[in-house]
Amino acid sequence: MRVLIIEDDTTLRAHVAAVLAEEGFAVDNAAEGEQGLYMATEYALDLAIVDLGLPRKSGIDVIRGVRKAGLKYPILILTARDGWQNKVEGLEAGADDYLVKPFHKEELLARARALLRRSGGWAQPKMVSGPIVVDTRSKSVSVDRKPVELTSYEYRVLEYLLTHAGKVISKTELTEHLYTEDEERDSNVIEVFIKRLRTKLDPDGSLSPITTLRGQGYRWDLSHQ
Amino acid sequence: MTSLRIRQLVAASLVLAVFIALCGAGLEQAFRSSALQAQRSKLEGMVFALLAAAESNQNGDLSIPAPRLPDPRLANPQSGLQAAIVDERGGLIWGSPSLADDWPLPAPMDVGVWDFEDKDGWFSLSFGLRWLNSNDAPRRYTLQVLEDDSGFLQQLRIFRRTLWSWLGGAALTLLLVQTLVLRWSLRPLRKLTHELQGVESGRQAQIDGLYPIELMPLTQALNSMIQVDRNQQTRYRNALGDLAHSLKTPLAILHGLMEQENVDAGLRERLREPVGSIQKITDYQLRKAATAGRRTLSAPLALHPLVDKIINALNKVYAGKGVKFGNGIPSDLQIRADEGDLYELFGNLLDNAAKWCRHQVRVVAAHQGNRVHLLVEDDGAGFPEDAEALLERGVRADNQTPGQGIGLAAAMEIVNAYEGTLTLGESPLGGARVSVIL
Repeated sequence: MRVLIIEDDTTLRAHVAAVLAEEGFAVDNAAEGEQGLYMATEYALDLAIVDLGLPRKSGIDVIRGVRKAGLKYPILILTARDGWQNKVEGLEAGADDYLVKPFHKEELLARARALLRRSGGWAQPKMVSGPIVVDTRSKSVSVDRKPVELTSYEYRVLEYLLTHAGKVISKTELTEHLYTEDEERDSNVIEVFIKRLRTKLDPDGSLSPITTLRGQGYRWDLSHQ
Repeated sequence: MTSLRIRQLVAASLVLAVFIALCGAGLEQAFRSSALQAQRSKLEGMVFALLAAAESNQNGDLSIPAPRLPDPRLANPQSGLQAAIVDERGGLIWGSPSLADDWPLPAPMDVGVWDFEDKDGWFSLSFGLRWLNSNDAPRRYTLQVLEDDSGFLQQLRIFRRTLWSWLGGAALTLLLVQTLVLRWSLRPLRKLTHELQGVESGRQAQIDGLYPIELMPLTQALNSMIQVDRNQQTRYRNALGDLAHSLKTPLAILHGLMEQENVDAGLRERLREPVGSIQKITDYQLRKAATAGRRTLSAPLALHPLVDKIINALNKVYAGKGVKFGNGIPSDLQIRADEGDLYELFGNLLDNAAKWCRHQVRVVAAHQGNRVHLLVEDDGAGFPEDAEALLERGVRADNQTPGQGIGLAAAMEIVNAYEGTLTLGESPLGGARVSVIL
């Protein structure tokens, strides 16, 4: 999952970025509104965290710009202005939730995860698809109640596919949502991750949760609830 | 003298009274002297008529025979008109038949001299003359004509009565006209007072009526004052927002630093309390400072759309929970309060209700005389038994327990700033009910 943080305070931005990266998010950063809006409209994002008090372009304007561009990914407002008028204004502009500064890292993660689940249509923090259970809070995966060890990138691919279950996801899309703008990308690596996931989740080949569509991409085909 | 109208009327009445009195006195004086002049002319005419009728008698003295008397009144005693002729020594030569016996005779006078007197109720005119009798012997006489002044006084009385009744009538009419003019010219002021009361009671946002040019600067100044007062609140709030931003961002950093794994556990424990209390105090003081409270010139606000906005926002925040919000506020209900305060009040109450409800939150409101009664209800578990105490405690910053009753305490502070009441109860929906009277 790829997240953009728009926050003008360097220390806080670095802190939030570290917290999210630790949780397995691909994190992009912007320090002011103009650059933030550019990144928010140009990158393939799953979530944006926007501070309301930004230099050059206010957070509200950034949110409006994102929604005007027709983008639907969730936006979390980060605000020190805890007045309700501000919150309502931000939510009206197109944000989906707010977090008042200062905040605990658990709260930030809980809100971010809840927004991502909601945008993927999952109501619970636990995603269940057949015998496969993915707990987004603890980042643990189990098949038939037996825990499965995944690397960080393998987990990211699984979470993204599962969140968008039933939809065709191209290799490019996966790459864009897994890596930040600064990371080196190699779409061949995706094939490796998919192959490893198949082996780990479905060692005997009876489930076949991921379908490969030649020239188009991958699709999670196991029923989900 | 607190009323402009009474001041004006008293001043006008005083001026009018002095003016009418002077005017009347002047007119009366003018009439009196002209009537006196007429009296004198009349007596002069009588003197000449008498001289024309005079002739020498057998003694060679001046005499007027009865048939030749120019006025029949001279022949009747007590007629009020008499005449006498004295010689140069003051002896009576001739007296009209009407002349009273005890009448004091006039003093002899020089030739050609007139003397007009008003004495003891009689006008007298004496004239000194020289007369050549039939022997061409020159003699000096003094002729006096007397008329009592009852006719003159009667004339004066009638004039006076007419004059004063007309002047009085004119004064009354003037006062009446003055009152009406005053009412008419003070009408814009009354209208302005009415409009200001309207602004104060929240019926209107500013002074809209058309006023005479003399009042235009005043109404414009009032309107801009109302505007400035409102803008000031907005600026103040923005400044507080900036302050909050610049205080809380570093606080968030501190929090983040404390949570880092390489921080020594002892240090983290020691930092937790001071950082926590900085946060609580900042929250509390900023919120308290941002509460505008009741102001004389707050614009009236429609409550329904405002609550709709908050509900739309909360719908997003609680999308995962599926809360059903009901806005039962009449669309014509207006409330005179600061917009930010209302956002804060309803934001906190609705957020609280949404947090604790099962599926349903409802807001209703109604006018109760001068005040507005608001109810926020949910179908959750209701308030704990010590909720009232929590509310009390939440109001004091140093005793606040984060996460518990903060929203309610914030709402309570706003209600207090408006001298309203906030009570907790049970909702017919099964959960909590917050009842606010503003």
